[in-house]
Amino acid sequence: MDLDKLRKTAAEIVSRDDVKYLLGWRRGTFGYRVAPYFIEDAAGVDELIFSPLCISNLATYLTLVEKLPVPRGQEPDQRKVALLVKGCDSRAVAQLLVEKGIKREEVVVIGLPCPGMVDRELLAEKYPETEAAAEVKWDGEDFLLVGEGGETAIPRTEVLAEKCRLCRHPNPVISDLTIGEPVEPWATADDSGVAEIEAKETAERWAYWEEQFSKCIRCYSCRNACPLCYCEDCILDRLDPTWVNRAVNFSENTAFHLARAFHLAGRCIECGECERVCPAGIPLGKLNRKLARTVREEYGFEPGLDPEAEPFQAGYKPDDPEEFIL
Amino acid sequence: MSAMLLHKEKWSEFTGKLSGKNLWAPAVQGEMKKFARVAEGQTVHLDEDNTTVPPKALVFPQTETLCRFSLGQTDLELPGLDEEMVLLGVRPCDARAMALVEKLFRWDFEDPYYLERRERTTLIGLACNEPDLNCFCSSVGGGPASPEGLDILMSDLGESYLLEDITEKGKALVEEFKDLLEEAPADAVKQKEQLVEDAVAKIKWNVDPEGIPEALPQLWEDPLWEKVSAACLGCGICTYLCPTCHCFDIQDEVEGPAGRRCRMWDSCMFAEYTKHTSGHNPRPTRRERTRNRINHKYSYFVDKFGVIACVGCGRCSNLCPVNIDLIDILRQVKAAR
Repeated sequence: MDLDKLRKTAAEIVSRDDVKYLLGWRRGTFGYRVAPYFIEDAAGVDELIFSPLCISNLATYLTLVEKLPVPRGQEPDQRKVALLVKGCDSRAVAQLLVEKGIKREEVVVIGLPCPGMVDRELLAEKYPETEAAAEVKWDGEDFLLVGEGGETAIPRTEVLAEKCRLCRHPNPVISDLTIGEPVEPWATADDSGVAEIEAKETAERWAYWEEQFSKCIRCYSCRNACPLCYCEDCILDRLDPTWVNRAVNFSENTAFHLARAFHLAGRCIECGECERVCPAGIPLGKLNRKLARTVREEYGFEPGLDPEAEPFQAGYKPDDPEEFIL
Repeated sequence: MSAMLLHKEKWSEFTGKLSGKNLWAPAVQGEMKKFARVAEGQTVHLDEDNTTVPPKALVFPQTETLCRFSLGQTDLELPGLDEEMVLLGVRPCDARAMALVEKLFRWDFEDPYYLERRERTTLIGLACNEPDLNCFCSSVGGGPASPEGLDILMSDLGESYLLEDITEKGKALVEEFKDLLEEAPADAVKQKEQLVEDAVAKIKWNVDPEGIPEALPQLWEDPLWEKVSAACLGCGICTYLCPTCHCFDIQDEVEGPAGRRCRMWDSCMFAEYTKHTSGHNPRPTRRERTRNRINHKYSYFVDKFGVIACVGCGRCSNLCPVNIDLIDILRQVKAAR
């Protein structure tokens, strides 16, 4: 990764009059943490990084940032938001455009071909985090951990994030400019995580999800981290009528997770943020990937590839394969 | 206070017997560690890591029925008292958090639900010999072997546990198990003190809160709040899993002609937390919400009860998916003074 080029480009973009800020990443405060980074002026780019730890999807902030009413007599801030996107992140931007969640002229998309990200928890299991911030780099096919104890080469397969192992779109599908050379897709079709659940008997599968959903503490980190869960008035927060009780138990938790999963069918771009942020380790990625695969196989549709596409659940095609409908 | 020794070869007998008393201890459930009921006769294995979910969830459940009601009935049905319980392996920070939260639940109104459950709970603590990298209990008035809130404090001395009773409840329990215990020699207590000293020395990522409560009201409009909250996802991880966060909402759940009134955890990080019926929200963005989270712990609670409502367990910093780090925020507050 040519960090100098990235920073130079970022400085140019953030200095533009029509750009409000640039969304990137910076080193976290300790260990392997990386934090989303809002850069407002060229001086801020020195801290900007792009490394195998930059797993989070910044497209979430396009809809998460509150838009307060503009005081009388003032003009709304029409400036653009610039953001760095990996392949998966760019699909979120494309899908937001499809859904008219954002407008094209509101964003400057800087594409970063992605050689794959590290699963921080896997890394920390093998090489415990310390209070000193450590760095991870790409090193050919492998990762290189640079910390207090010097440099350690880590085979890619050992700590590669699951979503990256399955990634079919490592190169940004939409961008105003791209930094870095395109990478060869390396996806494996072997989604063993989903296959394992599919292989279970119905009762066994139910028991599996009962155990998983029972762990949920309803912190809504999955919903909030999801770039495509951005309803202004979420049914989960509704009290009148109360669609989902606030009570935390298996039944209500299941209602929550299934409602979310179905709302994302044909929209989820498999960035894996829901599962990454879950403090309870609920395998939400598997749930969403199962639905994404169903949509792909049964309807021949993959979301977030074409910003001009018709939204999947709002469209009708006479030539849908729909082989599963009797 | 007496000091007794429990040799580790008697540990399984000790926990086996305790398990007859509605015993709860840390257990791993997937990626999450929390207190779980110990089956009778089962041995408990304690390790260094603290639980993901603090034991506050047992005395202040995430969802709790306050009463039940039904159409045509003027009488409310109140829930019965929970069975008494013993919590084993509670970390001193989490026990101290219960002592702090109790101040609130005893304040202008004595909350019978919380206080009765707290009264019926015995806490057996385990001192920390190996603080986690986000621990900073010793900076905020606690310590790796702080007795506050505990009934019995256990310290791992290697071959044995040192048991010190803190309260009458603890003393009675130690008395009950005296056949398994022996009088602790003076050097055992010294060894424990050395372990505490060593543990405190291992705490690196910390901050001295001196001056923070006074500084916070002055920094109300400081740009630091925008900076530290920009990346916030507005989820409930930091507050739900905080041992001192105690905000709750009360809602009615009605199905057909009957229902229940329940209290459930709420979080100041949620958008609808202080949203008024009119639609107005005095905390309209994550900036005000983050500011509230820090102010509640390091300013408002201090004004009201004279003590910081943070025990330095490090969960919020450790579990935040976007690296919003309490120590970092507090250091910025100090720098902005």
